[in-house]
Amino acid sequence: MTVAAGLGYALVALGPAFSLFAGIVARKPFLVLTLLTSTLFWLISLIILSGIWRVFLPIRSGAWWPYAILILTSVAFQEGIRLVFWRLYKKMEEMLDSFADRISKPRLCLTDKMLISLAGGLGHGVAHAVFFCLSLLTPAFGRATFYVEKCSRMPFFLVSAIISLGFLVIHTFSMIIAFNGYGERKRSDQVFVPVVHLIASVMTLINLAPGGCVIGTPLLCVMVAVTLQYCWQMVWRRLSEQQHRQFSS
Amino acid sequence: MDPAAGPPDPAPAPGATISTAATVLDGLGAEVLAVMSPVSICMALVVLLISLLAPPSSPGSAAQPPPPVTAATLVYLESPTDTPGQKLVGALLDAAVFVALVAVVTFVLVALYYYRCTGFLRNYMRFSAFFVLFSMGGAIAAAVLRRLGAPLDAATALVLLFNASAVGVLSVFASAVPIVVRQGYMVALAVIVAAWLSRLPEWTTWIMLIALALYDLVAVLAPRGPLRMLVELASSRDDELPALVYESRPTVGPASGSSSYASAMGSVEMQPVADSGRSGGNQYDRVEQEDDSSRAVVEMRDVGASRSSIRERNLEREVPMAVPVSGQSSNQGGSSQHAVIQIEQHEEGETAPLVSAASANNAAPNEEHRESSSSDSAMEFEMFESTRGIKLGLGDFIFYSVLVGRAAMYDLMTVYACYLAIIAGLGCTLILLSICKHALPALPISIMLGVTFYFLTRLLMEPFVVGSSTNLGKF
Repeated sequence: MTVAAGLGYALVALGPAFSLFAGIVARKPFLVLTLLTSTLFWLISLIILSGIWRVFLPIRSGAWWPYAILILTSVAFQEGIRLVFWRLYKKMEEMLDSFADRISKPRLCLTDKMLISLAGGLGHGVAHAVFFCLSLLTPAFGRATFYVEKCSRMPFFLVSAIISLGFLVIHTFSMIIAFNGYGERKRSDQVFVPVVHLIASVMTLINLAPGGCVIGTPLLCVMVAVTLQYCWQMVWRRLSEQQHRQFSS
Repeated sequence: MDPAAGPPDPAPAPGATISTAATVLDGLGAEVLAVMSPVSICMALVVLLISLLAPPSSPGSAAQPPPPVTAATLVYLESPTDTPGQKLVGALLDAAVFVALVAVVTFVLVALYYYRCTGFLRNYMRFSAFFVLFSMGGAIAAAVLRRLGAPLDAATALVLLFNASAVGVLSVFASAVPIVVRQGYMVALAVIVAAWLSRLPEWTTWIMLIALALYDLVAVLAPRGPLRMLVELASSRDDELPALVYESRPTVGPASGSSSYASAMGSVEMQPVADSGRSGGNQYDRVEQEDDSSRAVVEMRDVGASRSSIRERNLEREVPMAVPVSGQSSNQGGSSQHAVIQIEQHEEGETAPLVSAASANNAAPNEEHRESSSSDSAMEFEMFESTRGIKLGLGDFIFYSVLVGRAAMYDLMTVYACYLAIIAGLGCTLILLSICKHALPALPISIMLGVTFYFLTRLLMEPFVVGSSTNLGKF
């Protein structure tokens, strides 16, 4: 377990994010700025959360309910942050639109908006992966590996990387779903995102049980698949709708 | 990937939407990113260097590597056994001495520049660049080689090092060098100095960073601040700043080697002195400038007005307009020719978005950041662009990197937090720059945010994150 292992774990967690970044986000500077902003947002939310929870930490007892409360509050708080982020995005969209009007260019189109929301979601996801996985990965570059007591089958770093990957994908694509839902004022989309986030987080609670990571991690992957499928359907529907509109007009 | 790959079959329509979309979203923020990416690269390299070099020294005794004899530790050298009070006082003294030294050196440089001792300044800057690259860079390179266990004989190492340094000095000062090389050497200089400075004791580093941020604030914004005087002097002479400054915009070849600082939007910050005698320098040839004055670019909107008053009015008038300006008109004949050229380009730039989307890429001035899209290969466009790059003092690079490097000695988590904070601070500074349009200090916001985030992360976030994620509970 040396540099190769460390790099491997890092790539498991952040590889897809990297390819998304290199393939889509890096092409447009504005998206990079969006990504940085959203990463910063997530970091600030995490700092506030940890500030609140600092008093109660570390949790000594083996009980699971403090973790449940922690996760519930965290998810609620982060969904609130998402709303704030949406407000900001809305303002920025207006500014961009008026700017586009002034220089006589077309306004933001659907794909643009989706790209922006993708970048925003990717920022959240990358921040999650970086702070929850990558920053703990330093020991993996050394000669040993590490097992958590509750999960003796898989190395801690591997579980951590897979969970981070799952959350990265969920964060990324649920931002697209959420922005679209807010934009269309569609209740189902708006509700879907927090629910998925919550379920995915609750699934990590399974890891608290001895040997739970063998069950919890695949379940998380199922949630990832559900999110991806939902996002795909939604984007497909929007794009084909838009195309119909263009044909008819 | 999915959303972008979404419409495979409706080929024509999405194609159209994407191409039109590109016009609004594409170039936006390019200029900001052109500053942020080298800063990021610089910080990443410093973190890499520090984490590469750290392991051998950390298990060693407390004596550690030879404590760097720098201006920052003249008064007090921290030892682990001191009480926090001692450390604090010592660090404060150190920081005060360091800032005082920086201030004195800056004043001397300003005075030299004021009395037009540019020959001396130039050679001094050359020497310091060479010194940094050769001796400090050499020491770091040797340490890296030792760490990697890669043997290299002394003769080869010296030859390589000397050549690299020579090219570095040339590229830093002559404008005939590709901009990429110059930018690369700027980043390299910053990395070397930052890696060196990050060996300072912990308390001293923090206090020094804060003190420097405050000093920077004063030096750039106070009416008689040395850096402000320097900037004003340079712009009143239509001159290059006698300082090591990273330019985000290519000043391509000798043709536009003299990008004018008269355009008021130009510089985020000018920090000529990074460390007393360590860096700072005029990378531009005086001779080049004299050549370049005939190639001056004249602001379009002033062409109709009387040419003679251009220079004076540039400073006040241009600013509110969308296109920043270089107003050098010492050579009337030469500049009038170029003025004509510029007029054509300018109109092209203005009308292009209206006419065709293909060439619209040329000029998309972003309202917030007053920037334009990345340049095409067109020569005239480069000249046009050369007047409007954002310039960032090398000192900012160095001290950002010192902060991140110091954070890297604690944990990676603090590194990411500090990086984000610094970048956010830089973004804030750039936004402020677009609002108030004169040289701004780039250190204060970033450093304050960085320090705040470091301690927040270290004290609040780390136990939280480590606690929850070692239990594999995430959200």
